[in-house]
Amino acid sequence: MIQVDKLAKFFHDKKRGVVHALDHVSFEVKEREIFGLLGPNGAGKTTCLRLLATILKPTEGTATVGGADIVRSPEQVRRKIGFLSGDMGSYARLTPREVLAFFGKLNGLEGQKLRQGIDEMVRIFEFGEYANTKIDKLSTGMKQKVAIARTVLHDPPILILDEPSAGLDVPTARLIENFILQAKESGKSIIFSTHVMEEAEYLCDRIGVVHQGKLAAIGTMDQLRELTGKQRLREIFLDLLDMSERGQGARA
Amino acid sequence: MNLKTSMAVYQKELLEISRDRRTLISMVVVPLVAIPLMLNLVNRFMSSREKQAEGEALTVGVLSEAKVPTVLGALKAAGFRPVVKEDLRGAVEKKEVAASVEEAQDASGPHISVYIDRTRQASDIAGDKIRAALDKLKTETVRASLRGSGISEKVLTPFTTQRVNVASDKKMSGLIFGSALGYIVILLMFTGAMYPAIDMTAGEKERRTLEAVLSSPAGRTEIVFGKIAATATAAFITAVLTLGSMAYSFRFSAKSAQTQEVFQMAAPEISSLLMALVAVIPTALMAASLMVAIALFAKSYKEGQSYLTPIVMLAAFPAVVGMLPGLELTPTLALIPIFNVCQLIKQIFLGDFSRQAFAIACIANLAYAAIGFAIAARIFKNEGVLFRV
Repeated sequence: MIQVDKLAKFFHDKKRGVVHALDHVSFEVKEREIFGLLGPNGAGKTTCLRLLATILKPTEGTATVGGADIVRSPEQVRRKIGFLSGDMGSYARLTPREVLAFFGKLNGLEGQKLRQGIDEMVRIFEFGEYANTKIDKLSTGMKQKVAIARTVLHDPPILILDEPSAGLDVPTARLIENFILQAKESGKSIIFSTHVMEEAEYLCDRIGVVHQGKLAAIGTMDQLRELTGKQRLREIFLDLLDMSERGQGARA
Repeated sequence: MNLKTSMAVYQKELLEISRDRRTLISMVVVPLVAIPLMLNLVNRFMSSREKQAEGEALTVGVLSEAKVPTVLGALKAAGFRPVVKEDLRGAVEKKEVAASVEEAQDASGPHISVYIDRTRQASDIAGDKIRAALDKLKTETVRASLRGSGISEKVLTPFTTQRVNVASDKKMSGLIFGSALGYIVILLMFTGAMYPAIDMTAGEKERRTLEAVLSSPAGRTEIVFGKIAATATAAFITAVLTLGSMAYSFRFSAKSAQTQEVFQMAAPEISSLLMALVAVIPTALMAASLMVAIALFAKSYKEGQSYLTPIVMLAAFPAVVGMLPGLELTPTLALIPIFNVCQLIKQIFLGDFSRQAFAIACIANLAYAAIGFAIAARIFKNEGVLFRV
């Protein structure tokens, strides 16, 4: 569903000069697969996901998302994805229904189809009376539900999730985990970044470790264990960062 | 361009700004409450000052009643109360009396000096009244002399003069209402557009809601168009409320005789108000596109305010020039943004605007709005501006 081909993003920083935020990264995400992107802060995870969501344009390389090229057909790409970021805010002055109506319209839904879609989201996420309450009056968990609902309202085949559980308490983070698993069950492909090793280990079919803009390793948990000789993902991750800094590129 | 997408953005932005306190204050409260309140206060102040000045204007300083033998009777007949003062000039300066009168004798006869302070309304009024009383006395004295010499009194008035104002009430209203209105409408319209423009751009960045919109199939040009249209709507609503509120205030808030005459004469006709509203639409679009384009550079609401506040001040400058009397809206001057609409509003209320100038001004402002939109759309596609990468 996603093929990333030597994708690179450079930008100019006044202090640091040319920064290689993402440096010719290649990987793929298969159908009905949960692919995790792991990496320390500033590794290039967010840049990679923003490029796939066509929010940013690549400096070099390209990728296809659901068969559409991110450079040549960005609008086609955006029709096939649902994008969610953990640090994304919400429209505090709007109600969940109003937010869903807005994003539904942006995704081309209208009339009866839009109304049915909104009603279905209100039912699935159990908004109840809160569906017509302004978002700034809702709990963090409820706000996160609204964010998820607007991401999947148009039923996209691909989900791009950037640290979706960042800063959430355990019950709300669990909500995200269940959402990702259900999305996979319903046939979606999911790429998501996280700092929570336990979450990645539990959810991901395959994991890619990004460090300093480069892909340090990629593989299933078993393949990464074999590569590093470590058992826990935390140890595997730290080992891979060490190897990457020593210049020993590793691919499972 | 997909107008359905722009409409979705437009509706969402309008919904948001209708629930934003800062926008509501600048868009609704200022025109509907502050303007009538300000006019009412000016009105009351003028009225009370008028009464106070009239009372004060009747005191006149003299060295003693005996030392103004020629004019004493005329002053008393005009209603003045002579007050004995040693320092006539100082008494006026210290506001002890409205004016002072001093009489001296020289070879040619009595010489009258009147001391007034022209910076004080009461003193100025007293000066005018004393001059009128002395003119009357002078005429009567000459008349008495002529009676003894056998020459006809008609030599004093070989002809009479009369000033006839050919301007209609509508035109007078335009002069009073239109001059100030253009400036106030432009100023409030820019202020009314400022908060929505910041809220939809820098505000979205600050609240981190922009990424979700950018990752939707909506094109960036369509998004910007929706945002500019919503900002222009806010600006236009501010203009409508300002015009309506000022028209209402002028018609119904006059308190004193003087302000009543001026205010009621200035109450504009409905047709002029509607025409003025048509004239401000292109300017509202221009203001919105300019402000959205600039606010896009800001990272936060606060930063947006510091970018746009100078723009509002800058917009006030051509508006002030537009208030100046004696300027006509020529086809060339109709190309100057903001000035053109201020001048147009004035001429609409004067009832003698040129259709050609109206068309040129509206087309020019629409062209500026289109340029502003193109720039804003270009900026909105610049990821360096949106994400500071």
